[in-house]
Amino acid sequence: MVWVDVVRSLLSLAPTGLAVGVFRVEARLSTLWPVLAVAVVGVAQAGHDLLRWAKTRYRVTGERVELRTGLLVRSHRSVRRDRIRSVTATATLRHRLAGLRVVTVGAGLPGAEGEAALRLDAVNVRTAERLRRDLLGGEPVAPPGDGAAPGDEPAERDGSPRSGSPVRDAAARGGPRDADARAGLRDADDPATDGATPSGAGARPAGAARGGGAVAGDARVLARIRWSWLVHNVVNVWAFVMAAGLLWGAYWTAGSFGFDAAGAVAELLDWRALGLGWSAVIAVAAAGVLGVAGMAVAFVAEFWDFRLTRVRTAAGSVLRTSQGLFKTREVDRDDDRLRGVEISEPVLWRWMGTADTNVITTGLTVWSMTPATIVLPRGPVRVARSVAAAVLDADPNPFEAPLRGHPPAALRRRLGWAALVVAALTGALAGLGAVLGLPRLWLAGPVSAPLVAVAAVVAYRALGHATVGDHLVVRSGLVSRSTSALRGGAVIGWQVRQSVLQRRLGLATLTATTAAGHGRYAAVDLAAADVVALAERTLPGLLAPFATAPPDQDPSLPPAHLARPAA
Amino acid sequence: MTGSTVRLRPPRHRVERRAVGWWTVRAVLGAAPVLAALAAAYAVAGSTRPWSGPALVVTVLAAAGYAAVVPSWRYAVHRWEATTEAVYASSGWFVREWRVAPMSRIQTVDRVRGPLQQMFGLATVTVTTASAHGPVRLVGLDAEVAARTAEQLTELVRQTPGDAT
Repeated sequence: MVWVDVVRSLLSLAPTGLAVGVFRVEARLSTLWPVLAVAVVGVAQAGHDLLRWAKTRYRVTGERVELRTGLLVRSHRSVRRDRIRSVTATATLRHRLAGLRVVTVGAGLPGAEGEAALRLDAVNVRTAERLRRDLLGGEPVAPPGDGAAPGDEPAERDGSPRSGSPVRDAAARGGPRDADARAGLRDADDPATDGATPSGAGARPAGAARGGGAVAGDARVLARIRWSWLVHNVVNVWAFVMAAGLLWGAYWTAGSFGFDAAGAVAELLDWRALGLGWSAVIAVAAAGVLGVAGMAVAFVAEFWDFRLTRVRTAAGSVLRTSQGLFKTREVDRDDDRLRGVEISEPVLWRWMGTADTNVITTGLTVWSMTPATIVLPRGPVRVARSVAAAVLDADPNPFEAPLRGHPPAALRRRLGWAALVVAALTGALAGLGAVLGLPRLWLAGPVSAPLVAVAAVVAYRALGHATVGDHLVVRSGLVSRSTSALRGGAVIGWQVRQSVLQRRLGLATLTATTAAGHGRYAAVDLAAADVVALAERTLPGLLAPFATAPPDQDPSLPPAHLARPAA
Repeated sequence: MTGSTVRLRPPRHRVERRAVGWWTVRAVLGAAPVLAALAAAYAVAGSTRPWSGPALVVTVLAAAGYAAVVPSWRYAVHRWEATTEAVYASSGWFVREWRVAPMSRIQTVDRVRGPLQQMFGLATVTVTTASAHGPVRLVGLDAEVAARTAEQLTELVRQTPGDAT
């Protein structure tokens, strides 16, 4: 009987390393270090993976997810299930060939972004799917057949076919959550507690009550990839970085096979006849084309079959992205944690309408290279806006509402900064010129003035704010103009800043602090008199008790204020 | 001057008068290492005198100016207030700042007393929310007032329903 309810304890990890086994180790090539390095790294990684597999155990209890790992440095990490914000299933090509997935559990803590993430590398596809559904309070699933793939531990094979039923039964009963709270580490021998609340401990009682309801599989597609977006993704600085990487790799690989790449390039054209200038132009152009092609391939591989869907689960809904050609990635984000959306438009590509779309969610770090907050590949801003509205489920769309511009004094402040920048640049160039013996160098400073002034105007025009429906919308930023729509209820504090200079200009910055995303979203340099009104429209009642009555307010308000202290 | 001002009233309570003394001592101590280094350079290494002399004078003047002006300026600006709904504080000198945190979103209430603060019988109460950028700091409170306030806040937070995120 205990067996039946010990569902997900002590599952072993399936090895990743065995799929790596493509080593081109031949004695003949022993002098060629790149290949040898590949081989050594491959063998080392396979060994490392084998060790890791042997020493890694994880389990999911009613209350927490735990992971023990390490040979020399033992580590034990546990994450409370009601803190889980996202579950990501990724797979590289070798994982896919072996039917494996890497499951990453995101449960960021405020102030410790990117900590507490838990990585299970790797589990088989079915386990990954079940983990994903269970951990995000999704539908408890009963795998149709034997859920275990060959190579899994017996514990897994015994547990998984029955995993659905106890979970569903417990959920239908509402889940003994008190017992659950005690469950802790002794779930393995306590059948009552294991898997009692599929909806992530007491976080969503409503979901637990609805438990086994037949609301599974209701997915609505919010966005799909369109290959015309390729244009937005291939032309940028990274193209040259990529070209450099490709060329470097090609050069060494060719070298190890005895092919003189540099010599071949030198013979391609009569460089000396072309002169230094043309040579440089051709080299840069060639690198650019190569880089763009590389970026295109990378983009296609990464966003192949990209879909953004909202999936109804037993406990609510999740926002799911799935993508990838060779390396697949599926990210589920709990809708209960969604606080808003941020769209940023890089300044150089604004004429093309290029935009990045991120969700503002509690507990998801925004700092990693491929953050889970990205819900749409870089694409046209029109699409980004309508998708953002769908994600927020907001009507009217916060991103299409007209924003209120900020007072001209904000432009004056920016022009002041521009003047400072030009002065500083001129000074620095003068110093540099004196050192290098270029007395005219400082002239570049004043010459840059119009450009800096234009930047000031662009930065000023980026400023804006509004409240649309339930959302606070703020926009700012020069290099990347970012528009953020934050749900009013997500604001957990206000911060008003005013420097002495801002005060002279009649400006102030209102910052909404929140538990999600960057942690704060600011309306920069708005008219000081508007601060309280904007805060009150966003989240009524928080700032009002500390406000002074506006001098030109309609006469109905002051009596109300006077009445309060008497009461 | 456009006549546009932030329509927020100052919080009800001033900080402790002794905080001016604390801020002054802190300013002096902060400048001391630089002054000592410059003075040592001036006294020991004669070759540095052409620049260490003027630098010393400038630093002394800047530090003295800061120590004379900023603490009282801070005292004029720093205020705090706690209602049953929220904690409200204003701070800063060059950049003024008003912060509000609602009771329902407060996660922790800390009371900190550094060695200098202990000398002056002062304490700082820090109220944090789930945002990394949202703490409200009530700086330079009388130690007893701080203890009482922290206690009351903790009790209020305990009674106020909220998920703190």
